[in-house]
Amino acid sequence: MIKFMLMVNRQGQTRLSRYYQSVELSRRAALEADVVRCCLSRKKDQCSFVEYKDFKLVYRQYAALYIVVGVTDTENELSIYELVHNFVEVLDKYFSRVSELDIMFNLDRVHIILDEMIQNGHIVETNKSRILAPLTALDKMADG
Amino acid sequence: MSDVVEKTLTALPSLLSLDSQPGSAKLSSTSKLGNLIRGITELTSKHEEEKLIQRELASIKEQVSSPNTSMRQMKELMVRAIYCESLGYEASFSYIHAIKLAQQGTVLEKRVGYLAVSLFLNESHELLLLLVNTVLKDLQSTNLIEVCMALTVVSQMFPKDMIPAILPLVEEKLNHPKEIIRRKAVLALYKFYLIAPNQVQHIHNKFRKALCDKDPGVMTASLHIYLQMIQENPEGYKDLTVSFVTILKQVVGGKLPMDFNYHSVPAPWLQIQLLRILSLLGKNDQSTSEIMYEVLDESLRRAEMNHNITYAILYECVKCIYTIHPKSDLLEKAAKCIGNFVLSPKINLKYLGLKALTYVVQQDPKLALQHQMTIIECLDHPDLIIKRETLELLFRITNAQNVTVIVEKMLEFLRINTDDYTTIDLVGKVAELAEKYP
Repeated sequence: MIKFMLMVNRQGQTRLSRYYQSVELSRRAALEADVVRCCLSRKKDQCSFVEYKDFKLVYRQYAALYIVVGVTDTENELSIYELVHNFVEVLDKYFSRVSELDIMFNLDRVHIILDEMIQNGHIVETNKSRILAPLTALDKMADG
Repeated sequence: MSDVVEKTLTALPSLLSLDSQPGSAKLSSTSKLGNLIRGITELTSKHEEEKLIQRELASIKEQVSSPNTSMRQMKELMVRAIYCESLGYEASFSYIHAIKLAQQGTVLEKRVGYLAVSLFLNESHELLLLLVNTVLKDLQSTNLIEVCMALTVVSQMFPKDMIPAILPLVEEKLNHPKEIIRRKAVLALYKFYLIAPNQVQHIHNKFRKALCDKDPGVMTASLHIYLQMIQENPEGYKDLTVSFVTILKQVVGGKLPMDFNYHSVPAPWLQIQLLRILSLLGKNDQSTSEIMYEVLDESLRRAEMNHNITYAILYECVKCIYTIHPKSDLLEKAAKCIGNFVLSPKINLKYLGLKALTYVVQQDPKLALQHQMTIIECLDHPDLIIKRETLELLFRITNAQNVTVIVEKMLEFLRINTDDYTTIDLVGKVAELAEKYP
């Protein structure tokens, strides 16, 4: 299962964090800093999967942003690696070529999108149109 | 996203110069969040960050308690509170207001209220009980969007003791004409199964109905429950093997609508889920395994394209083939596949190859032997993760002849390793080997 998903920039600033296994608020900053340090120290030609404590990290870099997913041992790392990309493609579709700023200023919308894709640490929807349908409907209602 | 992302924080000041306009509430509240983020970003010390956030939290606290704050403003305040908490600063005073927002807001505001609740609270939080009434109300709303969001929040967290109050309403949604409602109802039931399995015992036949739903989304949702139940009791679901095989056949054969494709691969994560289920059902069971050989062969054949996601499917397929009752020609193809992974210059694939080898080496020690040159190369790989995985593999193929060499390599690794967990794990392995081969 997926334990958490983070979007962190190269300066170590968290842009988005979502925990599927409860982690105390006071412990989160330290965990995130450590996880980011771990991923930032990896080189381009190294594996995208890192053994971290008793679980694994799957990370993917998009320009200045790192998306890091903590997963249990039983998870298929490459499928999570591609899930991250699917997520970015969904964001691209919604924001018309998403940027870090879009994510920062639309924190709630990005969470709403993520909610459609992952629940209870499991992948529940990967069809892009279906992921975006509820948010698009909300946008329409809010405007009208 | 690459070049557009370079629109970085240096562009912020010009974008936020609009924050002094009093008229447009939306613009000014957006820039309040923007101001906050820009403020945080420019700081260089943790101490300064703390000061800024405490000021922000004080401001939010004042505004949420004010009777003059509209739900629209409350929504923006909640997003700022979410941001503060994501940096690690508690904003517990806002929790009750998140619930209020979910109760009283218009549709988008309500959604943000629900979102805030799902981020702030946890299963055992006492405030969660206050949400139950709102959820019950929204589940019965004529507005389908509200029903959807209520089901979403129920799937994320719901107090166990209140399940009986909500169960009939959720069950009813299983027959809804809209697929999204049926799908979300199934996921809510999955949540109930996770937290209180005996509460949903009586509706197992409804899960079967969901499995056979004409909409692939609803069917996929039911697989979560099935995977869980099959893990607990594979015997009880052997009769469904044919159904799972048929579904996988249809998916692999491209029978799903186009929008289920990801880079031309039909519903890859669904394929992976089905392969996992089939593994569990076919394990140690020859007759059940025989039902799946054909579709596994087909999956191997179809996943020929050069994309990460097809490799992910292949990996799962290979694992399945090695888990269930053996069939020689399938095993041959799977072995070839593992070989391709291990020999691949792409490092992620090499990692998967090593992982696969570790998994299958018990059944097929010859395979590891076949690739021993590559394995030895991987031992000296600059990437520590690859090295570590190789040691894991070697541990499995240790015998009286090679034990000394392998233990030496492990000790070498321990000297350069800095991670505690790995150290503990490896030391344990060395000790085990020392005992086995004194």
